[in-house]
Amino acid sequence: MDKILRINMSAAGGPTQSTEKAGEFAALGGRATTSTIVGKEVPPDCHPLSAENKLVIAPGMLSGTAAAISGRISVGCKSPLTGGIKESNAGGQAAQVLARLGYAAIIIEGIPEGDDLYKIHINKDRVEISVDNSNKLLDNYPLIDKLIKEYGDKVAYMSIGSAGERLMPSASIACTDPELRPTRHCGRGGVGAVMGSKKIKVIILDDAGCKNRPPQDAEKFKAANRVFVEGIRKHPVSGEGLPAYGTNVLTNVLNEAGGYPTNNFKTGQFEGGTKISGESLAELEISRGGKATHGCHRGCVIQCSGIYNDKDGKYLTKQPEYETVWSHGGHCGISDLDTIAILDYWDDNVGVDTIEMGVAIGVAMDGGLLEFGDGEGAIRLLQDEVAKGTPLGRILGGGAGMTGKAFGVTRVPVVKNQALPAYDPRTVQGIGVTYATSTQGADHTAGYAVATNILKVGGDVDPLKPEGQIELSRNLQIATASIDSTGLCLFIAFPILDQPETFQAMLDLLGGFYGIEMTGDDVVALGQKVLTLERKFNKGAGFGPEDDRLPRFFQTEKLPPHNLTFGVTDEELDQLYNWD
Amino acid sequence: MAEKQSLRVVVPLEQLSAFSLLLQQGIWLQAQIGCSVASLLTEQFNIEEKYIVERVTTLFLDFKPIDDLETTYVMDGSTLALSSAMPGLVGTTMRRGSHLAAMRGDISYQNQQQVVSGAGRIKIKLFNMVMTELGATFLAHGVCLTNGELDTLLSEMDDSFWQSIEAASVDDQQIDSASLVNRVRSAIRDEEILLKVEFTS
Repeated sequence: MDKILRINMSAAGGPTQSTEKAGEFAALGGRATTSTIVGKEVPPDCHPLSAENKLVIAPGMLSGTAAAISGRISVGCKSPLTGGIKESNAGGQAAQVLARLGYAAIIIEGIPEGDDLYKIHINKDRVEISVDNSNKLLDNYPLIDKLIKEYGDKVAYMSIGSAGERLMPSASIACTDPELRPTRHCGRGGVGAVMGSKKIKVIILDDAGCKNRPPQDAEKFKAANRVFVEGIRKHPVSGEGLPAYGTNVLTNVLNEAGGYPTNNFKTGQFEGGTKISGESLAELEISRGGKATHGCHRGCVIQCSGIYNDKDGKYLTKQPEYETVWSHGGHCGISDLDTIAILDYWDDNVGVDTIEMGVAIGVAMDGGLLEFGDGEGAIRLLQDEVAKGTPLGRILGGGAGMTGKAFGVTRVPVVKNQALPAYDPRTVQGIGVTYATSTQGADHTAGYAVATNILKVGGDVDPLKPEGQIELSRNLQIATASIDSTGLCLFIAFPILDQPETFQAMLDLLGGFYGIEMTGDDVVALGQKVLTLERKFNKGAGFGPEDDRLPRFFQTEKLPPHNLTFGVTDEELDQLYNWD
Repeated sequence: MAEKQSLRVVVPLEQLSAFSLLLQQGIWLQAQIGCSVASLLTEQFNIEEKYIVERVTTLFLDFKPIDDLETTYVMDGSTLALSSAMPGLVGTTMRRGSHLAAMRGDISYQNQQQVVSGAGRIKIKLFNMVMTELGATFLAHGVCLTNGELDTLLSEMDDSFWQSIEAASVDDQQIDSASLVNRVRSAIRDEEILLKVEFTS
């Protein structure tokens, strides 16, 4: 990854391209790369859909290598949803292919004149940017089917559906999986709308003739990878629970804890929870000839995804994730897996963030558009309104915040205008701190369960001290920002949390590849650097302490069954970023 | 008080999945209450301590995560949910003795002031790997449910379940599948029955 591809869509006479040395980014990746470039090159106060915004695509530090589970790709820009900095990452094949092509990043800047729609084809010999208006308003599934006939099935595609072309703030960028289905999405924050604003429909990545990136210390790297894989496979979460049931294994547990937001955050338990649980989902998938265990990219050893077939045994969608099952399920009072799977398909096809869309529909239900539990109505909203770009569809595609305003709803679960994920912060107060203070808006992956206990980020924290909430969230956010830069899937968090030898193997993987000695301190320093950059950008975009807050209803409405409100004070929240 | 009727069904272990929804929703079991969670599981249900330590890493008593099984006591009517280790920040947070336990400190189980011992009943919920590994143990212990609930459960069983029944009896009297269904349907719906399911490997 020794080069950066820069594409200027505004250039007179049509888009131009140039290649520059990767420089400081040669040994960076993922979120560290996207946030650094956006922080340096994008004016924080620009309009996110203007020519001044840039779309930065970066594979992880270990992408394109033989390192297991290293296929996350990051997309960064100023977010049309939050108005702040955005890094959104996904699995699929794109990261591995882009890294093998040697690119540390693609930077897309400017906006072309006219209404032409472009595609970008990158292989080892050339970069071709061409007009292809035959792709206009095609959604992701038919688009990829069409492109496969042209470019074949040995490439990776990054595309937007009609939502991205229509510049909806919830629009995603789809990355194809090993079967070339557009199922893995950089979903959060409207990155698809930024790609749409630059009139780019699809990027075709072809690594034919390219090899895996070679490590500096092959022996150390190979040995570390072996220990790393063993650690992942022997851990009960990454080696058993996730492969057997997928991320939706969480539904029963969150429901039991009373922290499963139901009917737009009115209660913490959903009566229909067991019908849509990971256990029920896996059984249904297997009974219909689908798969409950499937990798989103080659080289994945966890395989937390699956294949969901319809009643006739025909492919319908990939296994819906926990967040999707929640946003379209419990959040909307829907307890039918087939309905949720159809909604998941439409999210992927139109190209919208599954959390944002599900939460928006639930907010609209709260505003009286539909009854909670109306599955057919929910499908109609996505299929007939969002997919067709009707005025109502554009409101929903504008996200939960916009939908709340349109329907006069006061209970709108957003932070920095981004919808909350599937964990109620009144039950798990610590995650509320992360939702409130994350640079990304409400995001459950911003402060993941990374091994802060091993890293000793900020020193030892007494987990039983109530005042530890801020410190724990701070440490988790720092560690997560660092992991987001490696290209490793966040689900490595569990084995590295519990197994020191697996944590050391991760450091040795990085060290063996780059020929350096990595320590926990290096991981912490990288995470802090990323967060500092993002925070600075957000300040320039006009964000202040008043934006690091949960919506008021979390402090005033008690959540059954525990009847708790969010109790962390504003003064405490303001102490999270204590180093900048 | 008269003993409730007892229904015994013997099926192959692969039919455990037929009881998946029931196990997730929870089954009522007769037990000695007023004991610790650790004692309940090891002494009354004969689950090995090693298994509990290594596999049952996430537990809830009455919707509250438990950190110490020795000092948490089950009461009459308690709901105890058992799960293996979970992914995600919140999944990790819910673990027994998690280093992130403070993040859910407001819902963590606190020790009771008074404990009453004696015969009672508890609801057990089983999730994920624990469901597949312990489901047979709890179903063999005997599940208390009404005839109406049993009718609903049996009506959801598919053909493979009915074809796989190796033996069935009501109060030790052998009964065939058709008679079993008729008997449950004609029984007083609110009256309780004890369902014991035994699995053969």
